[in-house]
Amino acid sequence: MEENKKMCMVLFSGSIDKLTAAGVLLSGAVADDMDVDIYVLLQGARAFRKDIADDPNKLNMAENVDLKEEFVKSLQNLKVKTWLEFFKEAKSLANVKIHICGLAGKVWGADKLDDFVDIADDIVGIGECITATQESDVHLFI
Amino acid sequence: MTQEELTALKVNKIVDARGTSCPGPLLAAKKAMGEINSGEILEVLSADEGTKKDIPKWATKKKHEYLGTVEESGFFKIYVKKG
Repeated sequence: MEENKKMCMVLFSGSIDKLTAAGVLLSGAVADDMDVDIYVLLQGARAFRKDIADDPNKLNMAENVDLKEEFVKSLQNLKVKTWLEFFKEAKSLANVKIHICGLAGKVWGADKLDDFVDIADDIVGIGECITATQESDVHLFI
Repeated sequence: MTQEELTALKVNKIVDARGTSCPGPLLAAKKAMGEINSGEILEVLSADEGTKKDIPKWATKKKHEYLGTVEESGFFKIYVKKG
């Protein structure tokens, strides 16, 4: 049987629009039967904190901050999934692993896996991230 | 296939993804494909314009057979035979 293609997504951003874009891209990869490893770095790790992830008011918008409210409302009107729902659905459909950078977690006061949403698989060091990027067919940095 | 032939197809599963935007219809199609057998036909209802190109390309890539699209009022139906 042919082996699935691999995507490695390095998710640096915790900006709500970029998280949404990451969710859409992740969905496309899953539809294409790709195995996906997501490495969550710095700002991204804050968004994965369980007390922040599902609350648009606690997530930032890195650029065009004045458009955040319009963006969030528009997504709701269009019945688009939240970024977290995209990620959860992708995990339920394919081999998607979410790795939190240990340093990033500490920066945001979260150093245990239990501090993050339950779709996070583990806390890792950067070596694993570099190896995964080297071994992937598609590599995205968001 | 002609529009008449598509409309007359006996489909095995219908997925109504009209309430969703991209990538909703694509993921709905992927899920539904896992629930039918090879040679059976899936009909996807969508009102998302991008889906018109997305699902045919996805279907071909995944070795399914894209049969065609029928335009309706405010939405369209995409027909795919599972490979």
